[in-house]
Amino acid sequence: MSWEFGAAVAMIVLSAIIGLPIGHAMLASSVFYLLLQGQDMSIAFEQMLTGLYGSYVLLAIPLFIFAADLMNVGSLSDKLLDFCRALVGRFRGGLGHVNVVSSLIFSGMSGSAIADAVGMGRIIINLMTKDGKYPGAYAGAITAASAIIGPIIPPSIPMVLYALVSDTSIGFLFLGGVAPGLILGILLMTMNAWQARIHDYPVEEPVPLRELPGITLRAVPALLMPVILLVGIYGGVTTPTEAAALAALYAFLVSTLFYRSVSLRLAYETVRNSAKSTAAVGFLIAGALAFNYVVTIEQVPNVIRDALGDTELTRITFLLLVNVILLLLGCLLEANAILLVIVPIFLPTAVSLGIDPVHFGVIVVVNTMIGLATPPYGLLLFVVTSITRSPIRETIRHLLPFLAIMIAGLGIITLVPDIVLWLPRLYGYGG
Amino acid sequence: QDMPTLRLSSVVSDNDIRAEAFAEIAEAVSGTFDMQVFNGATLVAQGSEMTSIQRGNLEMGLIAPQTIAEQIPEWSIVTSAYLFSDAAHLQATFDSDVGDELKALAADAGIHVLAPVYFGTRQVNLAPEIDVQTPEDLNGITMRMPGGDAWQFLGEAIGANPTPLAYAEVYTALQTGAIDGQDNPLPNDYNMKFYEVTSQIVLTGHLIGFDVLGISKELWDGFTPEQQETLQTAVDAAIATSTQRHLDREAELVEFFRDEGLRVYEPDRIAFRDYAQQKYLESEFAASWPEGMIDRINALAE
Amino acid sequence: MSSSPSRPTHILRTLADAVPATLLAVMFVCFIIQVFMRYVMDSPVGWTVEVCVIAWLWILLWGQSVSAEEQDEIRFDILYGSVSSGVRRWFRIVFSLLLVGIYAWSLPALWDFVTFMKIQDTSYLDIPFSWVYSVALIFSVVTILRYLRILWGAARGTDTGQSSVDELGRKDFTE
Ligand code: NA
Ligand code: NA
Repeated sequence: MSWEFGAAVAMIVLSAIIGLPIGHAMLASSVFYLLLQGQDMSIAFEQMLTGLYGSYVLLAIPLFIFAADLMNVGSLSDKLLDFCRALVGRFRGGLGHVNVVSSLIFSGMSGSAIADAVGMGRIIINLMTKDGKYPGAYAGAITAASAIIGPIIPPSIPMVLYALVSDTSIGFLFLGGVAPGLILGILLMTMNAWQARIHDYPVEEPVPLRELPGITLRAVPALLMPVILLVGIYGGVTTPTEAAALAALYAFLVSTLFYRSVSLRLAYETVRNSAKSTAAVGFLIAGALAFNYVVTIEQVPNVIRDALGDTELTRITFLLLVNVILLLLGCLLEANAILLVIVPIFLPTAVSLGIDPVHFGVIVVVNTMIGLATPPYGLLLFVVTSITRSPIRETIRHLLPFLAIMIAGLGIITLVPDIVLWLPRLYGYGG
Repeated sequence: QDMPTLRLSSVVSDNDIRAEAFAEIAEAVSGTFDMQVFNGATLVAQGSEMTSIQRGNLEMGLIAPQTIAEQIPEWSIVTSAYLFSDAAHLQATFDSDVGDELKALAADAGIHVLAPVYFGTRQVNLAPEIDVQTPEDLNGITMRMPGGDAWQFLGEAIGANPTPLAYAEVYTALQTGAIDGQDNPLPNDYNMKFYEVTSQIVLTGHLIGFDVLGISKELWDGFTPEQQETLQTAVDAAIATSTQRHLDREAELVEFFRDEGLRVYEPDRIAFRDYAQQKYLESEFAASWPEGMIDRINALAE
Repeated sequence: MSSSPSRPTHILRTLADAVPATLLAVMFVCFIIQVFMRYVMDSPVGWTVEVCVIAWLWILLWGQSVSAEEQDEIRFDILYGSVSSGVRRWFRIVFSLLLVGIYAWSLPALWDFVTFMKIQDTSYLDIPFSWVYSVALIFSVVTILRYLRILWGAARGTDTGQSSVDELGRKDFTE
């Protein structure tokens, strides 16, 4: 690795710390590297352009964002919440459970943790903090924690990115995330029950049983969404990438025809906002594609592989080591950047150690999603605190127990590959 | 003094036979060149090898002939169905005056052709248990072909309904029935485990799959004759070995797939060949083919 | 920030936003056509993929330059969001100088690349890649202008940049 590489890395870190948007920091530093090396500076832009142009699977991203936005404006989210409240609201810490369960269901339609936190999250935070039932910081913390599960349960934008860098089947990755996602959901509910006892959080007025059928009926269109996606993908109608469009179409039809909550004007505003979010998320990927060239030309993966090769790691120690490194990086780096820049560095070693790429992918996605909620740099933290208006410090304090149990869950998933792999294998995966 | 650096970008995976060939070349020329191999399209994106070389940002690339044909329409002739009968015919053509013409066209675009790199003969691989003897039998069959109109046309030329799909998605799509089939050389069918989710392989042999190992023309012209000789000799030896290994592997795999319970059989190749050549001659592609070249290539078949 | 924009500004803003919005809508429709043609009509099409990747490229680079507002940009704001406005002003001066410098310096090379790419056409629609990639030039030039404005505001002390921690959740992922 050359001194120019060191200079480029330093520039990314320093310029990002003083507030340069991260996509620009990566792109500009790649250009800067080429300048120092005396190479053609357009290469950074070329890598960005050809990388975006050639990555068909990335097209799922804007459509999943669009689908999630439609569900939020189209009141599918509200109906879903009513249903969850009737279901688990009656237990101690009831709204905390509602938070987790609704997130689990919502995650079956959305591919992004941020969309989960903003969509379902905002509604349920208002519900939890109304009349001072729960401290805002606790509501924010459990929302951030349950949003982590979003992209672990399919569909999932991070898994699409992992599939891109690893050439793994998106279909199998999606299946691999189902069991770990459910396990993490149960762990979160356990922790919520415990916290509710410690802090004496309230129970909800039980919803009368006779109202349950009506509530369920109104939630059916929302509850059908994950089914539509599964039938679309595994019934041979669409590829996983195209399923995002099917989800958006379904959300659009339900909210215009069934709930009649979306006007033409609102539909346009939704498209406009989805396009904005797409650009913001996509530009991080664009920057990462440019910087990937620098990492490749410096042969960083080979250097790391050789270094790891010398230490004669076993599979387990390697996986644990990768987890620790990724968790630490997750405190500082953005999840997409980790998936696109850091994962390719470890992937060759993982493969040569005989680690299953689907198992590895699920581990990495769970890990980077936890990173979304770890301080100091955690996009989910910023989002929930901006909704709750409670101090970040307080939110982090309430979040720590949840993070601890999520990391324990990550450990289990790492050590027991079968949790991840049984469902893909059931569906014919040979790994 | 400093040895010239040769960075080679390819899309093949690190454990591919061709990756081994590139490693052999790098080893054989290590006294003359600092050759660095980047597989898996990690250095430049798939399809941009040629422009990167032309812009002086890459020294060597494994370039698909379809990519070359996007700039040099005459090259589309070597991407057409049933042109070469086998790997030997491919090599013979590139060694002949036809090859010289094609190489001269590439040289005008800044690419010096070192060798055609054979990677297997494309065969049709289907999920439904139908009997395929003629192109008509493939009517209504949704078949995944690589993206781009040249590839899609190849699918039409054998009678199927082509659809583009990312390579990593093909297995699931075959399993769910989103597609009925796909076409690839047998080693790919094995690597991607397509045999687990399909019922038969029709040995259509519709395309002799190859890429072009190319180097910057400007760079090549600047080498001493000794340097050129060293590189060319290393390439010829490694690629010859690689081609033989591919042929052996393909023969082996026919047996393997039969043991796995797949039906592996040869259809009426003449019917396929006539149908495909007719389709091509009627297409916009043939308009750019050099006059009489197809007959000269046919004449080179043994 | 809160004063209502003048009418021409408003129209320009609407137009700037309409481009990525329209492209996303086009992308959505193309995907539906693609599934419909393959699954229902049994007659798959390939051009939809090409329209979608071009739309995706333009949504991204247009969205992050022409229609971008500062609060739409994802930044690391643990330090940036917590320093005093005086310090933040200096941060803004430094990073905008850096970005303008690098993008301006590389602009001729980028121009050279984009114009060179007329050598190749897209597969289905036969659009020269110089046109497909021209959005990178728009991106670079507009970003230079945007950050010159940030530099100007910071240098004159009229704009110290608000804490984007607040902005992040309120603006780009909501509504
Ligand atoms: Na999800
Ligand atoms: Na973090």
